Amino acid sequence: MASVSDTTGTETPSRLYGTGLRLAYGDHVIAENLDFTVADRGVTAIIGPNGCGKSTLLRALGRLLRPAAGEVILDGAPIAARPPKEVARTVAVLPQSPQAPAGLSVGDLVARGRHPHQSWYRQWSTTDHHAVSEALELTGMQEHAERALDQLSGGQRQRAWISMALAQDTDLLLLDEPTTFLDLAHQIEVLDLVRTLNSRHGRTVVMVLHDLNLAARYAHYLVAMRDGTVVEAGAPRQVLTPELMATTFDLNAQIITDPVAGTPMVVPASTTDTEPVVTAPVG
Amino acid sequence: MTPTSPSTGTASRPRMLRLGPVAAWPWQPRTLLVNLCVLAVLLVGLLRALLAFDDYPMGLGEVLATLVGRGEPGPEFVVFQLRLPRALTGMLVGAALGMAGAIMQGLTRNPLASPDVLGITWGAAVGAVAVIVTAGSAGGVSGLAADLGLPVGALLGGLGAAAVVFALSWRTGLASDRLLLVGVATSLVCANLVYWAMTWTDLQDAARAQTWLSGSLHAADWTRLAPTALALGLLVPAALFVARPLAALGLGEDTARGLGVRVTGARLALLGYAALLVCVATSAAGPIAFVALAAPQIALRLARRAQPPLVGSALVGAALTVVADQLAAGLFAPTQLPVGVFTAILGAPYLMYLVVRRHRQQSG
Repeated sequence: MASVSDTTGTETPSRLYGTGLRLAYGDHVIAENLDFTVADRGVTAIIGPNGCGKSTLLRALGRLLRPAAGEVILDGAPIAARPPKEVARTVAVLPQSPQAPAGLSVGDLVARGRHPHQSWYRQWSTTDHHAVSEALELTGMQEHAERALDQLSGGQRQRAWISMALAQDTDLLLLDEPTTFLDLAHQIEVLDLVRTLNSRHGRTVVMVLHDLNLAARYAHYLVAMRDGTVVEAGAPRQVLTPELMATTFDLNAQIITDPVAGTPMVVPASTTDTEPVVTAPVG
Repeated sequence: MTPTSPSTGTASRPRMLRLGPVAAWPWQPRTLLVNLCVLAVLLVGLLRALLAFDDYPMGLGEVLATLVGRGEPGPEFVVFQLRLPRALTGMLVGAALGMAGAIMQGLTRNPLASPDVLGITWGAAVGAVAVIVTAGSAGGVSGLAADLGLPVGALLGGLGAAAVVFALSWRTGLASDRLLLVGVATSLVCANLVYWAMTWTDLQDAARAQTWLSGSLHAADWTRLAPTALALGLLVPAALFVARPLAALGLGEDTARGLGVRVTGARLALLGYAALLVCVATSAAGPIAFVALAAPQIALRLARRAQPPLVGSALVGAALTVVADQLAAGLFAPTQLPVGVFTAILGAPYLMYLVVRRHRQQSG
């Protein structure tokens, strides 16, 4: 189960997966006995209604939340038992709306992404310098390196934070709602970047996304969650069906083909407990 | 200095400072420049402290001759036994307080955080006053009790208060708001313990306790300076190693954890370390308010950083204390104001300003 078929059809264990996870904040249990496998070298989007536990799952995978039971396995070893810095050199995680001290510059922020590669006596190196430059270049933030984070547009700020995660120089990248609070153009900008990171630089990406149509367009795999369990997982066309929309999102919807990307696209009609109010315009 | 547009952020990617083949630190040109300027102010302050204090004015030539060992016995006594230990104690205490404040403010991400607010200063006061009222005779604290008992009492009291504050603010981790609230409460309890002890003891001990509480460099001499210098000489440079997680922690708990920081352990270690700095400083000179609060914020603005820089805060703290001591001694001459009283007078309005500004930011 904790494996994915590669192109040759043989089963190889996935680099990052969780088994039998019980995720809770204190007494408040979010998920019970949850299994999740990250598809290596793919872009995975976790979707689901509010409160379904998708962010919580991402936090557990990124070691921000310690599971009450079960284990997250990274490269064959439990993530909780490994030195945090070693994990941070393999998995970068960007929390939802992260906070920076007022006036922090983009360059300073991205430099902090090098933390897991440094030690108490070597706190900066030429490798660090190159990694930071490269991360800034990848996100097109090189020219903004001297600017303060709080003076940037939402899309630029998000790209700056992604640069920080990139400077961490990890194979796996976990992003918690990287497009929240962004207007559509900036959402596309960030997701294009994600796709580039995956296709050109071979990074495995897992992200929590709200927008189903964008998720279907940009992810290779969709994972639909509800009430702390995975309802459906697979290619977007497999997952986004009228049945799933009804059972998981309480939505009567049609699935059509995205005229631009050819990916499935959700057209909502009504919630499952009401009749359609909107009707097609006449003529 | 170049004028900055509002869009310019903090200094960007650092350059590298190498020490030997493997050790390296990041540094930024502006920070270095600012540090050198503050260092210059500090040196001028130190020199002035040797030239003219209270009632025995000396010329520059006379002081320099004395410093290289070619002075008259009178000036030699004044410079070496009175003025030099006083100036050096002020410098060390100020540096320790500035650095401790920088760590506390960086860690809690709150400019209000300082040893005074977190209860450590008043904890040290409880320890020191306890020694004064129990070990004091009619002649006051003297001998071993004064040289050893008082600093040790202050040290234990401060560390004890720090432990209480950390333990009481602990839930699943150390949240900074709870830390500040518990710290303020602990400060109040400790302050009342001090005043209770002072009413309970005789008048002479109470007066001595009051003198200690006002925070003064007046009594500084070599016997007290030596252990302080030794302790701070080890502690202050250690900050360059200990404080490494501060930058990551400044990005919030989740991001720091994502960057591989053991958040709880790092917070405890850093707060404990800062508490130790404050206790050593306070045991040497009594509580000197304001320095730990203001030095990091001044250094932050001078170096244009987003988080208080450690070395800069230590330098500003040292310069601030040395200069404040001279102002306190000189402004109301012949009455010599203890430096702690002087800095407290400066600090109160600054603290109010911080609170009001923070409140406006949060509601606005």
